[in-house]
Amino acid sequence: MPLFLKERKSLLILIVLVFIQLVLISLQVPLEDNNYFERAIFSVFSPIQHGLVSFFQKIGNIWNGYFYLKDLKKNNTNLREEIFSLKQENDLLRKALNSLQEERVMMEKLSNLDQNILAARIIGLDYSNVYKSVIINKGSLDGVEKNLVVLDKHGHLVGRVIGPVAIKESRVQLITDPESGVSVYSQADRIQGIVSGDGRGRCVLKYILSTNEELKKSDSLITSGFDGIFPRGIPVGEVISVVQTTSLFHDIRVKPYFDFRHLDPVAVLKIHPTDMD
Amino acid sequence: MGLTIVFLLYLALKTISFSLIQLFNIFGLIVIYFAMRRGEIFGACFGAGCGLIQDAFSLGVFGVAGLSKTILGFLAGYIAKKIDVTPPVRNFLFILFLLGFEFLLWALLSSFIFSQKLFIGKTFYSLQPLTTAIFGSILFILLGKIKYLSPDLR
Repeated sequence: MPLFLKERKSLLILIVLVFIQLVLISLQVPLEDNNYFERAIFSVFSPIQHGLVSFFQKIGNIWNGYFYLKDLKKNNTNLREEIFSLKQENDLLRKALNSLQEERVMMEKLSNLDQNILAARIIGLDYSNVYKSVIINKGSLDGVEKNLVVLDKHGHLVGRVIGPVAIKESRVQLITDPESGVSVYSQADRIQGIVSGDGRGRCVLKYILSTNEELKKSDSLITSGFDGIFPRGIPVGEVISVVQTTSLFHDIRVKPYFDFRHLDPVAVLKIHPTDMD
Repeated sequence: MGLTIVFLLYLALKTISFSLIQLFNIFGLIVIYFAMRRGEIFGACFGAGCGLIQDAFSLGVFGVAGLSKTILGFLAGYIAKKIDVTPPVRNFLFILFLLGFEFLLWALLSSFIFSQKLFIGKTFYSLQPLTTAIFGSILFILLGKIKYLSPDLR
């Protein structure tokens, strides 16, 4: 190797690395689906991340278990009381539902839904913006596939599964991602629009004409099912401000119902909207 | 050990609030640490690897973090070879400069590719270089002291 190249070896390596990555970036603009290289890196490293998180969670569980045992009797009493009131509540709700629908049809739907709910833990966040996506510990082996709907523990909409889906991990696009879109309507007046993220933990409701004066602050938004991805009737969020602008549409801010700080665990709905109807 | 501390901090922050994770550029800190010890070539290669892993776990264009961390690793190794960056104040300024530069590079690349303003104004993102530099310089001092007291780790 010539002397000048030896002296500039490190600079050459830097140039080569930068060049490779510029090629990688240019291959993806405009952004489309994940490329094979990204999928390969995700598949290789997601089990490592999964393992590390599980390891530290186990250590945490041992520590928590110690404190839990200390207060076991007290906790048991509290839990019994809680179960009792929950059973009462459950009975009342079932009775109310029974009065609205035929019992047989309702039971079929409930059992069908129950088999298709998959509990998952969050094992990773999006390093570029935490409000864009999360990684969950369920993958193709658990029956997870693209476009499955993800809910929080209270049944509020969190997002949907997007690619890549690894064997035991998958990525969930949150509704707070600016590139997401959910077809919704307001529960009070049935005004339809599209909810998209603002990238800062909140959402915006798009395409509501400025002539429309029915939508108000505190209105609840639920999925309409028109997008063919999210089933109808899932609570999405609450309108927190409606601002009149000079443009064709209102500037409407929405607070999602799911709480980012207490997102874990989540439920993956292993059923498509068409099957639910 | 440094990696364990960083990972534990990450888990602790995640438990308190997801937003707090934005305060620390953990990958950047790891790249700087290894580049300081192993030189600019290792720093660039290691930065590329770390950045691409970060990209694989993020939504967006694959390679943006890879590119910015490659340059970060190279610069960290190169500067550390030319200047002694071990004194605490110099170490803090060194990390702050590098992470600030990486942040700027990443923001420019992202806004250029997405052709839109980045959402960094009202989040913790803009504080990230400063908070990471404070934490990083303290961590590096502690690691240096531990290695001094335990000759086996040297």
